[in-house]
Amino acid sequence: MSARDANTRWRDSTSTLGERSAYKQVWDRQSQDSDVAALAVAGHTDEPTLDLTGRQFVDTLRGTTGLDPADVILEIGCGIGRVGKVLSRECLHWFGADISPGMLRHATARLQDRPNTTLVELATVGLQEFPRDAFDLVYCTIVFMHLFEWDRYRYVQEAHRVLRPGGRCYFDNFPLDSAHGWEVFTASSAYPLDRRPAHVSMSSTREELGIYLRKAGFADVQVRDLPNELIAATGVKPA
Amino acid sequence: MNPPDPITPERVAALEAELAAVKKRDAEFRVSMVQEFLDRGERNTYLHTLHEERTALRRREQESFADLELLVRKLEAANDRAAAAAAELARVRSSFSWRLTAPIRALRGLLGGRPQPAAPSGPERAPVEGARFTYYLHTSPFRVYRDASFTLRGWAWPADGRPITAVRVDLGGRTFIGRCGLPEPEVIARHGEQPGNPRPGFEVTFETPPGQHPLSLEAQIDGGAWRSIVRTTVWCEPRNP
Repeated sequence: MSARDANTRWRDSTSTLGERSAYKQVWDRQSQDSDVAALAVAGHTDEPTLDLTGRQFVDTLRGTTGLDPADVILEIGCGIGRVGKVLSRECLHWFGADISPGMLRHATARLQDRPNTTLVELATVGLQEFPRDAFDLVYCTIVFMHLFEWDRYRYVQEAHRVLRPGGRCYFDNFPLDSAHGWEVFTASSAYPLDRRPAHVSMSSTREELGIYLRKAGFADVQVRDLPNELIAATGVKPA
Repeated sequence: MNPPDPITPERVAALEAELAAVKKRDAEFRVSMVQEFLDRGERNTYLHTLHEERTALRRREQESFADLELLVRKLEAANDRAAAAAAELARVRSSFSWRLTAPIRALRGLLGGRPQPAAPSGPERAPVEGARFTYYLHTSPFRVYRDASFTLRGWAWPADGRPITAVRVDLGGRTFIGRCGLPEPEVIARHGEQPGNPRPGFEVTFETPPGQHPLSLEAQIDGGAWRSIVRTTVWCEPRNP
């Protein structure tokens, strides 16, 4: 199946901005087959590129929060398990949470040879499925651009709850003031008012991410500019 | 008190290995804690789904009873119309003109006309009067009765608040006495105290012989007259063995 076909089907599967908060519905519609799902969450469909970007992100985590083979890790919005497939080799156990059961079906297929992985469908925004003080690392990548600000903060708060004291967190988004950020912004502004898609990417500011983490109670909060034109906020749950 | 072990590279390596093992055990414990939490959540979700399904089934059962009640009422109306037509027919047949033309019909019968229907049966026992009750039946009488007996359970009190002193079911002329004065705390909590009927629950078990029978659930008011709470027709069809 060609990427061009997948592009067309993806466009057909999108919802309008008014439905953005119905995350489960919006993202399940985009998970109809593995190509459309991959395009929706990663922007490409071929497995080598998915693996490469997965490895690049694991390097980013290693350079920001650090990684330990004994880590118990939770990814918020794991989608098709692009990162989990790589990261599960470098930790004790990887948990992937997503609001879309359709995305998790694809993730299940991609992670079937990874016994130290668990996939969990989130009922709604938040991590109510998980207990407190459980994880060493909680991260969320390429997700915040699809969420409203209140829901971004909700996940930061929830990450603080489920992390063990001393646990680390990572959240990223694209900033408006990068070349890529401005390109996404102007491209999105071209949509007619009534046809803005629900998944349309919305930027964050460095200040916004830092505020979320500090308000949620994280210490050692740092906001970094990454080489791939993303900004990432990291923090540690005080012991 | 023994002096502490000297800090040697071997001792540091051993402590580091021990620390790594402890960290791993702690992480493994947290993984199993999360898994158990997830399993419990799944069980709760399953339980919640079962509760929802039970609620939906109850709703469907109530809707079915409502449909059945409507059908029973329609059948009763059809029966009433049939009885009225039979009475009208009997009146025609006992009229002077019918008797006058009897020889002509007899002649037609001899020449191959239709057979004459049997005369209607005699009048049934007069039912007791109805009265206004506040009531609810936990076991709906609007059903096809498959078993040899059935227990009607519910609660009731007359609109005038007088006490119910006995309950019974009249099924086609046979009487079955039930029990009244059963506690219904939720009903009292919802509707308020009923001084005449502080325990408004009742139950009556009656036999359900095959066939169609008029049913009347009746209450004796204050040790005096019997009044009908609800009246209907029931169909009893035993299950095939």
